[in-house]
Amino acid sequence: MSNEVHFKVAIIGGGPAGIGAAVGLAKRGVGPVILIERRGEVGGTPMGYRKKPGGVPTFIEWTRGRVVFGEELAGRLTKRLAQTGTTIRLSTQATKIYPAEKRLTLLGPEGLEDIVVDAVVLAAGAREQTPAEKGWLAGARTARVGFTRHVTGWLDRHGLLPARKPIVVGSDLIAYSAAAKLCALGSDEPVMIDRRRSPEASFFERLFFRRWTRPDWSGGVSTVEIKGHGSPTHVESSNGREWQGDGVIICGQLVPNTELALMAGMAVDLPSRQLQLARGQALSQPGWFAAGNVLGGFHGAQWCYFNGCRVARSVARFL
Amino acid sequence: MAKRSELAAPLVLWVDGCPEMTQFGTWQPKIRGRLYYNWPRGTCEEALRFTGSEQLGLEPYDLVIIGAGVVGCGLAYQLSQYELRVLLVDRLHDVGEGTSKANSAIIHTGYDAKPGSLESELLQEARAAWPDLAARLKIPVDPIGGIMLAVTDEQERQLVAAEKNAHANHATDVRILSAAEIREREPNASPNVRGGLLVPGESLGDPFMASIAYAEVALANGVDILLGTGIAGVELGQAPGAPLHHLVTDDGHRLPARRIINAAGLGSRRLADGYGGGAFDINPRRGQFVLFDKCARSLVRHMLLPMPSAHTKGVLVSPTIFGNLLAGPTAEDLPLDDPEATHTTVEGIRRVMEGGSRLVDGLAQQPVIATYAGARCACSQGSYVIRYNDGAPGVVTVTGVRSTGLTTSNSLARHLVDGMQKELGLELSSDTVALDARPESAWPGWWRRPFEDGAPDARADHGCAVCFCEVISEGEIRDALDSPIRPRTMDALKRRTRALMGRCQGFDCQVPLAELVSGHTGIGIEQLTNNGPGSELVAPGQAVCPEEVSA
Repeated sequence: MSNEVHFKVAIIGGGPAGIGAAVGLAKRGVGPVILIERRGEVGGTPMGYRKKPGGVPTFIEWTRGRVVFGEELAGRLTKRLAQTGTTIRLSTQATKIYPAEKRLTLLGPEGLEDIVVDAVVLAAGAREQTPAEKGWLAGARTARVGFTRHVTGWLDRHGLLPARKPIVVGSDLIAYSAAAKLCALGSDEPVMIDRRRSPEASFFERLFFRRWTRPDWSGGVSTVEIKGHGSPTHVESSNGREWQGDGVIICGQLVPNTELALMAGMAVDLPSRQLQLARGQALSQPGWFAAGNVLGGFHGAQWCYFNGCRVARSVARFL
Repeated sequence: MAKRSELAAPLVLWVDGCPEMTQFGTWQPKIRGRLYYNWPRGTCEEALRFTGSEQLGLEPYDLVIIGAGVVGCGLAYQLSQYELRVLLVDRLHDVGEGTSKANSAIIHTGYDAKPGSLESELLQEARAAWPDLAARLKIPVDPIGGIMLAVTDEQERQLVAAEKNAHANHATDVRILSAAEIREREPNASPNVRGGLLVPGESLGDPFMASIAYAEVALANGVDILLGTGIAGVELGQAPGAPLHHLVTDDGHRLPARRIINAAGLGSRRLADGYGGGAFDINPRRGQFVLFDKCARSLVRHMLLPMPSAHTKGVLVSPTIFGNLLAGPTAEDLPLDDPEATHTTVEGIRRVMEGGSRLVDGLAQQPVIATYAGARCACSQGSYVIRYNDGAPGVVTVTGVRSTGLTTSNSLARHLVDGMQKELGLELSSDTVALDARPESAWPGWWRRPFEDGAPDARADHGCAVCFCEVISEGEIRDALDSPIRPRTMDALKRRTRALMGRCQGFDCQVPLAELVSGHTGIGIEQLTNNGPGSELVAPGQAVCPEEVSA
């Protein structure tokens, strides 16, 4: 690791929050900045939500009274990022971080590389809870038990359905948008089950998606087991109810990607994996900041972008 | 048996890479065996597809092993050292995919076995042989040691007997620890701990790699492997002396065999009915496990075992060789008619958490990433039931191999080969060119990272991660797909590379990984399966075209 390169700020994650931080830092004249993105393109989660399939607006933001699709939004953000002069490393992942020394080990197409920085913005986003993590979902480990990201991945990229008769577990906005997308593209009306008595998505959100889907809703389910060999055939609740289906889509309750920070010894609450934040979204080690969905909860792309811009102010002040 | 050992590598540990580098991703020695999947057209390359027994040659097999679990694979490896025509056949779609894949991955010392039993004898032999075996077959092993914890007064009294039993099994380094000594070694152990038994020799192993490594070497040495092929029955030969039997597959193919070894685990009873084997009962006993995130690994330093009861060894808490933390198993008797009910239950998971929390403080706070279950092949007639000429001449039944099967796989295989020489009149002549090791050039495995080793000839695609959680690169996936037992299901790939096994459980990487597999093998992406035909990743048929919808 002799070829250590120095940057003023490293941003981990090239989604809306990371881009927001890069734009905010550029505005304040902070540089050089490096943005690390593990996928092959920047833009983050919105990039997976294209306009075309079925015309279902599954990832939308209202800007100046107009609906904007995920892909379009990500495109705008990417353009703004390109004007900043930020060094962008694609297909590169921070595999290890050393909080005290502010050193990061990166793995990219060229192999391993160490960089040293003065400040870090953690904008690693969030992911959906695994079935096991939910604690109330058990049963057979079959194929076609996936996440909403698989719905967009299979449909948008390959025109394939992850289920013909989907069982959606969870009832937030993401669950409804996944159900809408599936229905619009040829699946049967989904079954939607959740522990909650009433759906997590608001009345207006549900109303919006009624054009495409009116899922068969069952709330107040205590525990659920997936049944089937190889592929799911049905799910069964502890009170003996059964729902037929050939695929299970797990939605909602995002988990922040904070393990990198947690394993480097920074203050993180367990088992929620929420970062413990100080003023200005600072982490427990000086010079470390966080922005976007890695803070926990479920926020839209614009919120994340502006949150990134805001954290740039704290970073600039720290520097 | 050390003949053409091509290497003198140290014990392969997950913590360090190996010093010497050769070209990765290639299996330089010639592969002499044939490998087929009995799959429908289009689900794997045509060259790998089984279409009829003539593909395997017309000459009858000297031995056919039914069941490619760790017992069957270990035996195939051992037999591949001799000039024999051997076939390894399994109903499932990878080696080691049934009971063998869902164990607690411990290389046992056998300290708690019944002294004088075959199990104890095999464990002692295995204990001495494992370091060398692991180095030759490149199976990661980490000798972290275990501590059996007593949490009640009654259990504390049992410690003396347990220590005595261990010494009777020649595990002389086993000794009793006081509560204070345990606290020093395991700061996170439960405050209720009264004392414990230190078992320094207990090691972590890779639960999947043993079966795969045995099978890879066996295949290279000329053992044929037929996967995805259920055996419906046995047509016994009637000739006196050494009759020629035929195995009939589920789809009606006949495979001629002079000797048959039933290592079918949970399926061994049904198979034995087909050849009139002696009485034994399989009592499938499910074990559920909870796998914690890597951030929980630092909670314990040793594998922590509970005091066993008459029914079960109890819920243990142990690191895994991959750097996670594991708790389990439960012990639930399954109905005989559904020995494959290896699903988890909310109740079972709760019991694992409860059992684990009795040993380790704060376990319940740790993030869980996955749960899984396996079924032990418990036999009412005891463990390690071996019968020669069972029901018919030349038929061998091996069953009742439970949690120690991974540890004893090689010593059991030797024991069986000796037995077959004596009881079946099997004549052996050594195959002088057979390998007894996986060559250095074999695909390196998740524990040896080309990009981390900085190997000069590491390929560029060894740096691009496709599985972010476990940091598995595209190059490693391609190398695994090209490894001798051509893995063609996502589960098989996952056991070799750990892709999909990280904390996101495929959230990020399932679709990109499927694209990579499809691109490299030419299998249509809609045909890819989790674990063989019937478990496709997507529902059949295309989605409605977006244009049609908007029109």
